[in-house]
Amino acid sequence: MTTATLVHVVVSGLATGSIYALMALSLVIIYNATRTLNFAQGEMLMVSTFVGWAAQRVFGLPLVVTLLVAVVAAALMAWLVERVIIRRSIGATHWDVLIITLGLSLVLRAAAGLVWTHDEFPFPSFFGTRPVALGPVRLAPVSLGIIGASLALMTGIYALFTWTRLGRAMRAVAQNQRAARLMGISVERVYSRAWVLAAVVGAVAGVLVAPVVFLSSKMGLIVINGFTAAVIGGFGSMPGAVVGGMLLGVLENLAPLYLPSGIRYSVPFLVLIAILLVRPAGLLGRVEPRKV
Amino acid sequence: MPLLVALGVATLAVWPWVAPRYFVFLASVILVNVIVAIGLNMMAGYTNQLSFGHAGFLAIGAYTAAVLTLRVPGVPVVVALIVAGLFTAAVGLAFGIPCLRLGGLYLTMATLAFGFVVTEAILNLDTLTRGADGLRVPTARLGGLTLSTDTARYYLVAAVTAVMVAAAVNLLRTRTGRAFLALRESEIAAQASGVPVATYRALAFGLSAFYTGVAGGLFAFVVGFLSPDAFDVFLSVDFVVMIIVGGLGSVPGSIIGAAVVTLLHDGLATFQNYRPLIFGALLIACMLFMPGGVMRALSRVARR
Repeated sequence: MTTATLVHVVVSGLATGSIYALMALSLVIIYNATRTLNFAQGEMLMVSTFVGWAAQRVFGLPLVVTLLVAVVAAALMAWLVERVIIRRSIGATHWDVLIITLGLSLVLRAAAGLVWTHDEFPFPSFFGTRPVALGPVRLAPVSLGIIGASLALMTGIYALFTWTRLGRAMRAVAQNQRAARLMGISVERVYSRAWVLAAVVGAVAGVLVAPVVFLSSKMGLIVINGFTAAVIGGFGSMPGAVVGGMLLGVLENLAPLYLPSGIRYSVPFLVLIAILLVRPAGLLGRVEPRKV
Repeated sequence: MPLLVALGVATLAVWPWVAPRYFVFLASVILVNVIVAIGLNMMAGYTNQLSFGHAGFLAIGAYTAAVLTLRVPGVPVVVALIVAGLFTAAVGLAFGIPCLRLGGLYLTMATLAFGFVVTEAILNLDTLTRGADGLRVPTARLGGLTLSTDTARYYLVAAVTAVMVAAAVNLLRTRTGRAFLALRESEIAAQASGVPVATYRALAFGLSAFYTGVAGGLFAFVVGFLSPDAFDVFLSVDFVVMIIVGGLGSVPGSIIGAAVVTLLHDGLATFQNYRPLIFGALLIACMLFMPGGVMRALSRVARR
């Protein structure tokens, strides 16, 4: 195999990985704020992308406005879900909330199937189709675009968490909820904002990935890859989510080149198990000491 | 309580005489799920290790029993079930012991990955398992008997379930069971009182795999046809739903959860596309109005 092919495969792996990383980030944002694993994250991504697509078809919107519609739909949906369902279960255990988000994912997938059928639809892309040539290496503009847009979004998230009041509040709640409340932070507001932020990240990922994988009600299953990525990187660590996502994407794209077709779908999972055996809290995660 | 148990046993015994043929089959499926739920609850409920890979263990048990019966014609069904249970337990321990270091979500993710790897392995070991074509399971034999009707198979499942439930209930009166209960209440307190946490977590993992393996063997004979896509991640998720809806760390809770979820899936089948919608909405409602599951709700009502 030539180096050019290898570079091509790695770059498209990084593009897949960026999407996984965004998915992982949105799971981690909600988890850090609320200690809840949101099973419905993938379905929320799917529904908001569908809403954007439907608006685009009806009104013939430009793609940037479509993205905005998807983002606003995601934010509204997350705000509603958090207000109407999740906040009512504040006295429940984590397990209960896990089942609630699981139920939510079933409801959203079925509802999307009823409204938009379970077929696959093509989705317009921001990026052209003419390959970009860098010397002997030819790269798909879609890959570069996805990587660039994801990195920009990640930088935005980093800035938000580092420099804004909301970001500081979210980090405080993640560290110690009671102390955060005593410092005058409204924990409920942080919960709500975390859901909205995660949904917005998901919606952007959805609009970016839909042209590549097609838009369908099954798209939400990407949450499993996001979860895998987050765990590889160390659940709760945001840089970990990015590293885990990229690693997973590259491995998934490289595996078919070197391995027999039989085991190639198992590669991410075998890698995950191997990593966890060596580092039980993921690549960048810490084993948190438990207090009594 | 003894009255309730007697009533339950009596219902199980006369069920094939009073119920139509399909409901005899359905009852067998419920009982198989009861065994899995009890097994999963030993891990999740007592030692706080939630597994999203139990469909994988079920598949290992099912294929072990089926392949054994194919290769060794006339093997008694009880032997096939015990071998299925032991082999699954061995795989469970081989996977579970290295995973002892993993906590919470990490273990959950590892078990999820385990489930995917198992179905992929079944597809690839096609000389043994016939891969994607699926495997027809031979009829179960017990001595001179051939268990070829739904009723015969039902009685086999009911008898095995009764033994497994009794064992699970009695387990709680043993040293191991008390250790499990201590772990359920507080892992740190248990450790401070001298309970070897790692040993009991591994034991729970192995026992859970054993229960699920036996259930897998029964599943193979009841359904009669195995294919890897029957053991996907959604089945694992269903098992988790059963124990959380029923009640974590409780044998009656496992039974109720398994029955409720299996019946719901079956009853909603007529709604076709609306089925996941209704099922999901019921899950949300159930957890909002009965946090902690059915068992906790029942005990709250009883206390009033």
